[in-house]
Amino acid sequence: MSIFLYSLISGILTGGVYALIGIGLTLIFGVMRIINFAHGDLMMLGMYGTYLLSTFLGVDPFVSVLLVFPAMFLFGGLLQKALINRMLTSVAQNQILLTIGLGLILSNTVMLIFTSDYKTVTTSYASSTLKLSENVSVSAPLLVAFSITAAITAGLYWFLQKTDTGQAIRATAQDRDAARLMGINVSRMSILAFGLGSALAGTAGALLMPTTYTFPQIGSVFTLKAFVITVLGGMGSVVGATLGGILIGIAESLSAVYISSGWKDVAVFVLFLLVLLFKPSGLLGKSRT
Amino acid sequence: MWKRLLVLGFTFALSSTLAAQKIGVINTMTGGEAPIGENITNGIKLAEEDLKKRGFPLTLVWEDDTGKAQISMSAMEKLASRDQVIGVVGPYTSACANAVAKRAEQYKVPLLVPAAAKEEITRQGLKYVFRMNAPADKYASSLIDAALALGKPRSIAFIYENSDFGTSTTATAKTYVASKGIQVVADEPYPKMNADYRSTLAKIKSKNPDLVFMVSYVADAILIMRQAKEVGLQPQAFLGGGAGFTTVEFARETASSSVFSCTQWTDDVSWPGAKDFGKRYRAKFGKEPTYHAACAYESMMIMAGVARDAGGNRDKLREGLKNGKWSGIMGDVKFADFDGFTNQNAHQMLVQQLQGGAYETVFPKQFATKPSVYPFPKWK
Repeated sequence: MSIFLYSLISGILTGGVYALIGIGLTLIFGVMRIINFAHGDLMMLGMYGTYLLSTFLGVDPFVSVLLVFPAMFLFGGLLQKALINRMLTSVAQNQILLTIGLGLILSNTVMLIFTSDYKTVTTSYASSTLKLSENVSVSAPLLVAFSITAAITAGLYWFLQKTDTGQAIRATAQDRDAARLMGINVSRMSILAFGLGSALAGTAGALLMPTTYTFPQIGSVFTLKAFVITVLGGMGSVVGATLGGILIGIAESLSAVYISSGWKDVAVFVLFLLVLLFKPSGLLGKSRT
Repeated sequence: MWKRLLVLGFTFALSSTLAAQKIGVINTMTGGEAPIGENITNGIKLAEEDLKKRGFPLTLVWEDDTGKAQISMSAMEKLASRDQVIGVVGPYTSACANAVAKRAEQYKVPLLVPAAAKEEITRQGLKYVFRMNAPADKYASSLIDAALALGKPRSIAFIYENSDFGTSTTATAKTYVASKGIQVVADEPYPKMNADYRSTLAKIKSKNPDLVFMVSYVADAILIMRQAKEVGLQPQAFLGGGAGFTTVEFARETASSSVFSCTQWTDDVSWPGAKDFGKRYRAKFGKEPTYHAACAYESMMIMAGVARDAGGNRDKLREGLKNGKWSGIMGDVKFADFDGFTNQNAHQMLVQQLQGGAYETVFPKQFATKPSVYPFPKWK
């Protein structure tokens, strides 16, 4: 029983951080109908940012979020303005090529600078735990990461629902042309969306650093994960991505205990296929024509 | 004047036959395995430098296999047919080396595998395939022998990457522990770049094993130990089967202390030139040399040495490798046939333990630099 509880909790906590990556991807997809294949690489940049700040300036990885978030927002906005905006009207495969190419450039540039070595940040609390009961304890850094994720997600949700800019972003996502006719600066919304998406990916990277490692090619693993989360939750849905992330986290964690860790990807993809089979638009997605 | 011309012509003729003696290198220089591949690259570069200093005419043709078997195979085909190399050193990972071995046999190109562990590579009677390092079964048996010499372990749990290297090392370990009467209580393969082992480790903890045997590459090795501490997994000993457990990054971690690992090589061992190699490696690359680097260095030195005498003939090179005997930074090297292996160097594995952030050789006794810490100290 305690193993079940333990793996359920650690699944939810890891899933929360996965969700943050998924939310970024879903936001970008929602507004621009572009699947950002460089998303994992943006997360990787966030990881390296945190690594640099922590190793050379002694900034705590969790505090580094305060710097990584705005930096990645600006970087994402710049990418959108300089590159992606030009491709919005071109055919889908060209957009895919652009984002895949972007990802390759990012990961290989990082490899050129940092070599392909694995980088970890060392904190005093890397392996510290919080005891919930006699047999169940949770990883303290993972819990902190989850809390920050929850706060950011709540903030983002509020931003999208309540503020004028948030509503404009949602309007752009709903119907780009109608939004433009209503006087919304659509290309500015796209820059905002890509900036936010990148910032969320970078933040997720920063939050993962205390409990994991990074290397230039780590992005592809998370791009795939983010993609599954996004599709599972319903493309374009922020709440869906949150749910999707946590579901994937739990599925990975429980299948590692009750089937085998070698089979956890299978468990995730079976779950993925089942959802697609019974609800093709994803858990919270609205089907579009 | 004619004298000069003659000398010129002679040098020309000589250099053209020598230039034909190209040696291929297949290594993982990009992709997930690149951090370890880099050590091999460095080892070969150092060998190249030394060979050039000794006046060896050496042309290396580098191929990056990105850690994928199919790319590795096409690299071999390219080296064998287009580049016309006389022999090949590499590839790094077991999966690549095993795939390339069959191609090497097909093209009759001598292949010297520096540091891939899967037994099958030299266990399928391939005449053109040679291996420098000790295969996977030695990883497991040397570690378990050390554990048996230190205590009375009765049960063992396995956690390993579900790659060629992981499964083959674990498979031989299982046969070996069965022969020693140790019970396997958990058997947990995991997929690469997994990053979350908490659930698996919690499951292993509930089985309360005396030994935990791990086979991982570096990043996962670090995470497994961090998360083992988090979960509170407390066996008598953690045994790290090669690769990731013998890296500088792993040694830096506090959670890695007292983990046993085995290695093909350290620079404090008494093999000729080992210390000097370590010193020069650090000076040149600003990093600690790993066993991969040493294996790759020695492989290239031997390959180039024999290739020089083979005069561009691949079969002569093969015979030279088969019949030769060397002594260098890897100790005594001889490619022999034994226990079903062909052209396998019977290399002596060293068991080491992390003590105060440094690897100390603890087994076999004649190479020990420090006494071992056993059982594993309680987590703080």
